[in-house]
Parts: sequence; structure tokens; C-alpha cells
Amino acid sequence: MKFDGYDLDPAIYDELFRSSGEPRPHGRDLYDTLLESSDDYVNAVGEWVTRSFTHEGITFTVYGDEEADERIIPIDCIPRVMAGSEWRSLAQGLEQRLAALNAFLRDVYGSARIVADGVIPPDMVFGCPHYRIEMRGFEAPRGIWAAICGTDLVRTTEGFRVLEDNLRVPSGVSYMIAIRKATKSAMRRLYRRSRVGDVENYGLVLSQTLRDMAPDGRDDPTMALLTPGVYNSAFYEHIFLARQIGAELVQGRDLVVEDSYVYMRTTTGLRRVDVIYRRVDDDFLDPLVFRPDSLLGAPGLLHAAQLGNVSLVNAPGTGVADDKSVYAFVPDMIRYYLGEEPLIPNVDTYLCRRPKDLEYTLDNLERLVVKRVGESGGYGMLVGPHSTAKERNRFAALLRADPAGFVSQPTLKLSRAPCLIDGRIEPRHVDLRPYILSGSETRIVPGAFCRIALREGSLVVNSSQGGGAKDFWVLEDE
Amino acid sequence: MLSRSADSLYWIGRYLERADHLTRLMRQQTESLVDSPVRDIYFGWHRIYGALGRTPHPGPLDLEEDDSYTLADSYTLADDLTFEDTTPDSIRNCFAEARENARQVRHRISAEMWTCLNRSYLQLQGVAIQHIWSSSPEQFYAGVEADIDTFRGVSSSTMYRDQGWHFIRLGSFLERAELVASLLSAQIAAVRLFDVPADAYWTSLLRLYHAFEAYQKGDGLAIDADRVLDLLVVNPQLPDSLSVSVLGLNREFSSIGAGPDRTAAAQARSQLDYMSDLLRSSWPRTTDRHGLLTEFRDACRRLHDLVGDTYFDYPVVTHPARTSAFNQ
Repeated sequence: MKFDGYDLDPAIYDELFRSSGEPRPHGRDLYDTLLESSDDYVNAVGEWVTRSFTHEGITFTVYGDEEADERIIPIDCIPRVMAGSEWRSLAQGLEQRLAALNAFLRDVYGSARIVADGVIPPDMVFGCPHYRIEMRGFEAPRGIWAAICGTDLVRTTEGFRVLEDNLRVPSGVSYMIAIRKATKSAMRRLYRRSRVGDVENYGLVLSQTLRDMAPDGRDDPTMALLTPGVYNSAFYEHIFLARQIGAELVQGRDLVVEDSYVYMRTTTGLRRVDVIYRRVDDDFLDPLVFRPDSLLGAPGLLHAAQLGNVSLVNAPGTGVADDKSVYAFVPDMIRYYLGEEPLIPNVDTYLCRRPKDLEYTLDNLERLVVKRVGESGGYGMLVGPHSTAKERNRFAALLRADPAGFVSQPTLKLSRAPCLIDGRIEPRHVDLRPYILSGSETRIVPGAFCRIALREGSLVVNSSQGGGAKDFWVLEDE
Repeated sequence: MLSRSADSLYWIGRYLERADHLTRLMRQQTESLVDSPVRDIYFGWHRIYGALGRTPHPGPLDLEEDDSYTLADSYTLADDLTFEDTTPDSIRNCFAEARENARQVRHRISAEMWTCLNRSYLQLQGVAIQHIWSSSPEQFYAGVEADIDTFRGVSSSTMYRDQGWHFIRLGSFLERAELVASLLSAQIAAVRLFDVPADAYWTSLLRLYHAFEAYQKGDGLAIDADRVLDLLVVNPQLPDSLSVSVLGLNREFSSIGAGPDRTAAAQARSQLDYMSDLLRSSWPRTTDRHGLLTEFRDACRRLHDLVGDTYFDYPVVTHPARTSAFNQ
């Protein structure tokens, strides 16, 4: 299949090609393979990947105004490739970042030195809706508040940037594995030659990390994955991961807290649970402490965790560290706690709570991306260059009414990777979400969930907003 | 195994057994529409609704209006039992329930079982009574039966034989015992009501339970109601007989083992012994077979409650939990 008319824009980094049009060295094999294959063959591979994914029934749920809709994420068959050396330095940066975020969490729920030292304003921390006052004084197992992190990275011509840290209940890892399975068998010969880093052992690595988090003295911990239930958009992933790590898939009503220990109701009686990989938001974990109307958690769960009788992973309250305003201070955290320079920079961020930043944002709406602080999943966002005057006016009003509720960032030219679109190979914008696991050591499987903005020119990669996904190969060096 | 998971697996077994039984009845009933006298068709409906213990949604079956009976009524009744959303035990609802339970425990069953069940469920979603009525309804029901048979085969050849497997089987045996007992007692009641000793009513029963050939082999060609009932109740070789179901229940209980609530477990055991006794000792001597079958059916329902008490909803005494350890 030819790359006829493949658009190479010097202002946009292309994952496969240099600006000269030459394939990058690590992409040479993929390029040759595509070039030497007939159009029919490549299209057949594309269809095969889509079909095998459809049959697996791997769905996510999109919440519209009125009803929820089960959808299957569109999968592109052409993998995005990266050289092992580049991956390793990226992984170092990710490890550094998570180390600083965990140090920050230990600090702000303890003596809050970083606030006292004036590095970050107190209201940004203690006024953050995700700061859980109930967790003050809590000592997380091994000092790890966030054991599982999904970090969103984007690449521009200047290099990688962190767009967002996801420290609460990051999802998408089941796609990473399912996409790998489908792509691997569709491109078997290339895959075999390419020495691609393994991601399918993620379950094992996750399981080991969760074990590390077990309360002291529980050498063979019983683990459970706490799901909100079948109506959650990521229920498929919960089932998938529970099976991978050999944990019971529990709902709140399966748990009983007795004398500050947590048990699950089994057919042979109550069985003590040591580690809970919770996929339920903080608000719903424990009706005695958080939302009293929640049926998704278990009464007394938080108290049991505070006493160290059960480990909740991630710990409640980690959301303060992935808040969109606090994000702006992560490079400072890295310097403050680790005494190092950040290996992966942030995207410049304007905090609209600051009058100067608000003014700048309002003046430059058509060039900026405006994000609502509490939202995720691409909801409540304005992409300036792609917006209408009406939308900008609406956002301007919102910004003036609640400046602290928004941040803005320059619209980045996300890198592009070749995708099979309607029988042709065309570039599309992509991002990258690797998963970083932190237990007795930091573990990162060489891979990531790579999302695509499928519409031509679009920068929005969220699956709920018309995004797709593709496999991501880290190639071991020769 | 998590109690809720076991509960879901148990209900997969129950709902598919229920769907299977009703599908078989419906196949026979729609076959009879082709060539049976109106009165026999009417008897068939009466028997089905009698076994379900309720009146049809469209209105009660009234024997006095026998003459005005038309095939159009069968259309409505078949819809009621097959597709009607508000009929809790309609075939489609049974599939939906089985599939929903399976969705909750997808990690506890084999991938093949899920695919098989999901496919049948999706196929049923797209069908309505007018689609099957215009061609051959009995073929539609035969197709559904085959789907359920396939699921059983796939389960048997792919599912790991852990507790989950035994809970599915427990549900199946209990549901089957209850359904067969209900239908047999409904049969006796309907025969009394119609007051005509028609062989056809009894042979249809034999065919429904795959027992026609067995009957002929053992008892000859002449149809005798008591011998038919003996075969369906106590024959140890007939898969659908009550005795075989009770044997199955005993086996599954032993495999699962006593649950956390010893009192309930002991009660469940003795309930099962009581059911065995009903068949072994009381059945040969009783003069009230209808009464005994009804008693057996009620015993099945009590056993169901005891299964829940033993494994799923056993009481747990909790001390009032305290709030946050810090900041009190």
C-alpha cells in the first residue's frame, strides 16, 4: 500500500516519518511492510482487527443527555512504534513524576511542608474538592498513596509533554491488552521480527503491585476488585482485570466490615479481604464518611483502611494530586521533593483563578484549550481553534462567573501517526497513556493505550468524543 | 466463591431450565395447532397456565366458551408466553435474566459459554410473534431448544468444575424438579376438569419429557395414566424424572459442601431427605397423587429458600462501624 498524498506538516511531529519524508529508523520495518503489502491485504488486516475486537464484545459506555449507549471503540490496525531507548527515558520521567506525586500526597495529608514553604498556595490544596480532610494523618502502605497511575502524554515538535495525570481510577488498560492481542495476530510476521515489548503480562505486574500493598503480616493477601457494577462504563475492564489478577470482583454489598476488618461474603462464610483495588470513586466508597446515599461502597470501609487492616488502592484522597489546577505545580513538586529537574515537562497552563491568567485566557480564547477543573473524559472543554464564536462567548461567560473552575492551555499540535482511513493511509493526531505501577518498586510495562483523533484535523482523542485507538509498540534495541 | 457470584450462577441454571421447559411446551403446543382438535389445543393451554399457576394476560381461559375458541387466541397466548415483556417468565425474559446474570459473572464462566448465551439472547431480541407465526412457530421453538442444548454442551465441555459449576447445576435440578412437579399436577387437574380420558393428553406428556420410547419399551402401547406418572416421577433412568432431579440435587449439595450457616444447611439437607422420601416411600402408596405432587413442588420452593439462607443471604452480625479514625 502506498503512502500517496500522506501529509507531512513540518509543524507537526510524525511518529513514523522524519520531516524529510524518510521513515524513522525504528519505523523502517513497519514502513516497508506496509509498502510491500497490497491494498487488499492491508484493508483485510484492518477489517480483521475491527472484527475480532467486535466479537470480543469489548465495549465502553457513552453517557449522552438522556440515555447510555454501549459502543465499541474503533481500532486502527497500524501500530505506532517507538524505539526502546526513547521509551526508557520516557519511563524514567514517568517514574520521577509519580514519585513526586506520592511525596506530595504524603506531605499534604501530613505536615504540608510544601504549603508552609510557599511552593503551592494553601487554597489550591485544601480548597480542592478532591482533598479529603478525613484522610489527614493517614499513612498509606509503603508510603504509596497512588500505586496505579495512567499518565496522558502528548508529543509536539519540541518533545513529549505531560497533559494529565490520572491518579484516581485510571481506565483503558484492558484496551491496551485487547488491542495488542488483535494487532499481534493480524500482523504476525512483522510482530515476530520486531521484538516488541510485552504488555500482556500487565495482569501479573498489577497483581504483584497490589500484593506489595497488603497490610503487614498478610503474606498471602486476599485481593478483591471493587466495581460499581454492570452499569459502569468500564465494567468490562473490571471483569477483565479481576480475571487477570485472580481477584474476586466485588460490589459494595458483598463487603462486610466487622470490628474494622473487611470481609467478603462467600459461599463458605465471611472471608477477610486484605487489598481492595477499588474502581469506585472516593465519594462512593463509604457512606459513613463520604456520600451517605451511596450503595456502591461499604459502611466502615474507610475506618478499616485508616487502621491499616485493609489497603485501598489507590488511597482515598489521591484526586488532589491530579486536579487540573494542582497539575500546574507538578514540576515544582519534582524540584521540591526530589531536587531534580522534571524529565518530562508540563504543558504551559494558565490558572484562571489568577486575574492575569484569566485576562490572557479571555483575550486568546480562539487559540487556547479551556478545561473545566473538575471534569474529565473530554467533557466540558473548549478547543479554541475549532470553536464557534457562540461557543467562545458561552465559555467567556462561564469563565467570568467561576474563574477558579477553569484552566487554559495553548492548543498543542499533537503528533500524528499513520492510520488506515477508508482504504488509505493518512496521518491522525494521537496521544499516549502509559500505566505506571508503584509498589515495593516502580513497574511500567513497555506499552500504552494510544488514542487517535479519527476525524481529520481533530485534536480530541477521547473515546466518548469520536476517538479511536491503536496498538503501541516499544521496539527492543538490536 | 463470592456469594453473589454463586447466586448469579445458580440463577443462570434456573432461568435456562425455565426457558427450556416453556420452549418445549410451546413447541408441542404450536405443533398441535396444525392438526389437533380444538378441545385438545384448549387442554394444552390450560395445562401450561395451570403449571405456571396464573391466568393469561389477555384474560382467563374459560371452558364454557369452548365453542368460540379460535386459533387467534393461540397467537395471543403464544405471544404472552414467549415475548411479552410484562410476563416475568416469558421465554425472552428468561433469556434476558440468564444473560444478565452471566454478564455479572463473566469472569466465572468460560468465554465460550458467554458467547453462546449472548448470541442466543441477541437473536431473540430481534424476533416478534408475527415473525414466527407467519411461517412455522414450531421451528422457531425448536431453534431455541437447540440453543439451550448448545449452551449446556458448551458448559459441560468448557467450564472448570469448581463450585460455580455446581451452583449452575444445583439451579438446573431444582428448577427442573419444580417445573416437572408443577406440570404433572396441572395435568392431573386439567384431566379431571376436562373429564375425558384422552390418550393424547398423556402421550404429549411422554413426548415432552423424552419418555415416549421408554414408556413403550417398558409398558407397551396402551396408555395408562398411572404408569405414565410412575415413569415421570420415579424412573431412575429418565433424565427429566423427579427422582433423577432429586439425585442430582443430592450430588450437587455434596459437591458444594455445607455453607457457613450450619442450621440452614442442616435444614436444607433434611428438606432434601424429605423430598426423597416423598418419592420413594409415599408415592407408591398414595391415593392422592395430585396432592403429593403439589406437596413436592412446595418442598422445592422451600428448598430454594434454604439454598439462599445457606449460601447467599446468611445472617452476619456486625458491630456498628465507627467513623473516621482521625479528626473525630
